[in-house]
Amino acid sequence: MDNLQYAELFLTESREHIAAVNKALLELERDATGPGAAPAVASIFRGVHTIKGMGATMGYAIVAELAHELETVLDRIRRGDLAINVAIMDVLFRATDVLEKAVEAAVAGRDGEVVATELVTTLHALGVSAPRRSSGGWTTPAPTGAGTLVRIRLAPDTPLRGVRAFIIVKSLRAIGEVTSTEPPLEDIEADGFETDFAVRVVTTSPAAEIERTIRKAGDVVFVRIDEPQRVSAPARAPRPSAPVTVEAMTATVPAPSGETKSVVGQARHVRIDVRRLDTLMNLIGELLIARGRLTQLAGEIGDLALEETVTQSSRLIAELRDEITASRMVPVSHVFDRFPRVVRDAARAVGKQIDFVVDGKGIELDRSMLDEIGDSIVHLLRNSIDHGIEPPDVRTAAGKSATGRLVLSAARDRSAVVIKVSDDGKGIDRERVLARAKRDGLVDANRTDLTEDELLRLLARPGFSTVDKVTDLSGRGVGVDAVYTRVRALGGAMDIRSVPGQGTTMVLRLPLTLAIMRALLVRVSAEVYAIPLAHVSETIELHPDVLRTVKGREVLLARDEVLPLMRLRDLVGLPAYQAPSEIALEHVVVIDLGDRRAGLVIDELTGQEEIVVKQYDAVRDGLPFFGGATLLGDGTPSLIVDVSSLL
Amino acid sequence: MSHTVLICDDAIFMRTMVGDILTQAGFEIVGEAETGLQAVEKYQQLRPDLVTMDIVMPDMGGIDAVREICKKDPNAKILMCSAMGQQALVVEAIQAGAKDFVVKPFQPSRVLEAVQRVLG
Repeated sequence: MDNLQYAELFLTESREHIAAVNKALLELERDATGPGAAPAVASIFRGVHTIKGMGATMGYAIVAELAHELETVLDRIRRGDLAINVAIMDVLFRATDVLEKAVEAAVAGRDGEVVATELVTTLHALGVSAPRRSSGGWTTPAPTGAGTLVRIRLAPDTPLRGVRAFIIVKSLRAIGEVTSTEPPLEDIEADGFETDFAVRVVTTSPAAEIERTIRKAGDVVFVRIDEPQRVSAPARAPRPSAPVTVEAMTATVPAPSGETKSVVGQARHVRIDVRRLDTLMNLIGELLIARGRLTQLAGEIGDLALEETVTQSSRLIAELRDEITASRMVPVSHVFDRFPRVVRDAARAVGKQIDFVVDGKGIELDRSMLDEIGDSIVHLLRNSIDHGIEPPDVRTAAGKSATGRLVLSAARDRSAVVIKVSDDGKGIDRERVLARAKRDGLVDANRTDLTEDELLRLLARPGFSTVDKVTDLSGRGVGVDAVYTRVRALGGAMDIRSVPGQGTTMVLRLPLTLAIMRALLVRVSAEVYAIPLAHVSETIELHPDVLRTVKGREVLLARDEVLPLMRLRDLVGLPAYQAPSEIALEHVVVIDLGDRRAGLVIDELTGQEEIVVKQYDAVRDGLPFFGGATLLGDGTPSLIVDVSSLL
Repeated sequence: MSHTVLICDDAIFMRTMVGDILTQAGFEIVGEAETGLQAVEKYQQLRPDLVTMDIVMPDMGGIDAVREICKKDPNAKILMCSAMGQQALVVEAIQAGAKDFVVKPFQPSRVLEAVQRVLG
């Protein structure tokens, strides 16, 4: 393994530990004096401790130092030396944040960049308990008592010299009885000496044997053994158990097994670099395109055996795709777990009380999708905290509980994952949004209310929110445009439901995976477009008797439902439809997005295909109805219709 | 035949590093454990010549694991892996039956010296 791989392992594991530490810190804060405190402290300690060890090994000085000081404080808390209070919790939270930054900086090769001097000093002040230290030196006085005087000097760079000395004493006990030590044994164990210490040992072993025993314990640079003192009458004889111990210590016991050992029951998980999964996903994407082409060619050739083989390969490729897609899925808790901390900090910063609930943590989503959407969710949570949920006194005055409720939930809905952020705050101030929209000429001046869709579209307008902030209008709306753009870029959709005085719910609907989807291929003139099948509820022929005109607009009558109708050729600016024959009819694709539906008129349905979404860098002022592009089986490019932009 | 080793540490990072140091020195890593409980189970199962044991692990700490292993096999050769500032715990581990210790950050030479001492 090279250093880079170590660094990556270090980063991944450290992040996990920081997340666990944050979670445990929140638990500790909630239950500082209750039964949950001890396990929480233990868990924090473990996380910090592991980071310290890894950081030191990587040579990340700041990480190691910070973690070390933090650990010392935690140890005092664990031992009950230090009581938890708000100030200490704050220091712990702050230290964890700085530690996280230090970890990231260190891995990025900027170890020195995170300055933590002040924090380290604070932690250090909290962590010191009276240090035990004696002057020590070779001048260590000879311990009194019976037995041979043995002076021992350890190497100056001996790690944990107290423990090393203890091991030496222990090994001497195996050949005799240690009657006294200087400094006393408990001081030795606590590093209460420099490099030298002395013991008296009553033993029958010759000096050479004593020295050999001591040197074998390691890190010894010098041993001086004085003439044995006469064992005086009161001196105790060597312990009867000594011979047994000698045998146990010195006998070379062969390994109890001669058979070949295999790695039994090894972990059933392996870690895979996300980039490798991305590569696999790209490859399977290419393979799907090739499969489309192959299927088409085989159809043209019409050889039965060939078609059979192609069908079989197709099925295998589909299975492979499903497996690869599944391997990229991670539970949303991966990202959600850091939100309680975010909410806590944001709520404290604005002096609000918030009960944060997370639902559906086990729901799985494509790893890249989850990474992409994390910041957007933070945005929505902050919005709710800053602008949705009222301060405690306002809430009480409005007859609500002083503590606001903020719920983040994830749920699976067919081939989509629905993420909701809902608060029980004051709701969006529609009047202000309406007034602002009128002033900007975005809605008719006579309007008295806005529909939810209009509300979303207004809030999601780039700039609308910025203006909001500058004039300190209602506040609500900050950043919604950014979230909206991101969600759409991911092929998802967004909804707002807001009830004045009762709260706001933001709904994000995301596809399970970014890269591959089933699409309905439709033709308009000579162009073929792809419509994500997840958003298609049915297709019908455009008979004149399903068409109606309401208020001068064409609508579609489908299953007793009146749906708005739009023509793709009008949207993309193609000339009017010319029926190729008298009996030919246009087709309607009924597109839906949760509870919104509409009919999209196209010339002809050309088939269904598994398409691979290619990043589509839309020209800024290009048509907004497309969410990506793909290559079809025959190699022709095709634009993917963004259903959410049409509804 | 090369000596067999069981590595016990809750961090993959540490397991990998210790594993690399020992593998390069010709040892055979026969198993890894992430918790004290696993360490005890795998020791029984694999009977390795050497165990490297982290002190702080979930479920059952390293010291209790040393105690359990030594109860069943007093000749178990266990090397504690500790960090600075754990003297008291390392002493406890030695009392519990561990043979020696190394301190993080690991220097390969120190680890190998300690291993030689343990295997005696």
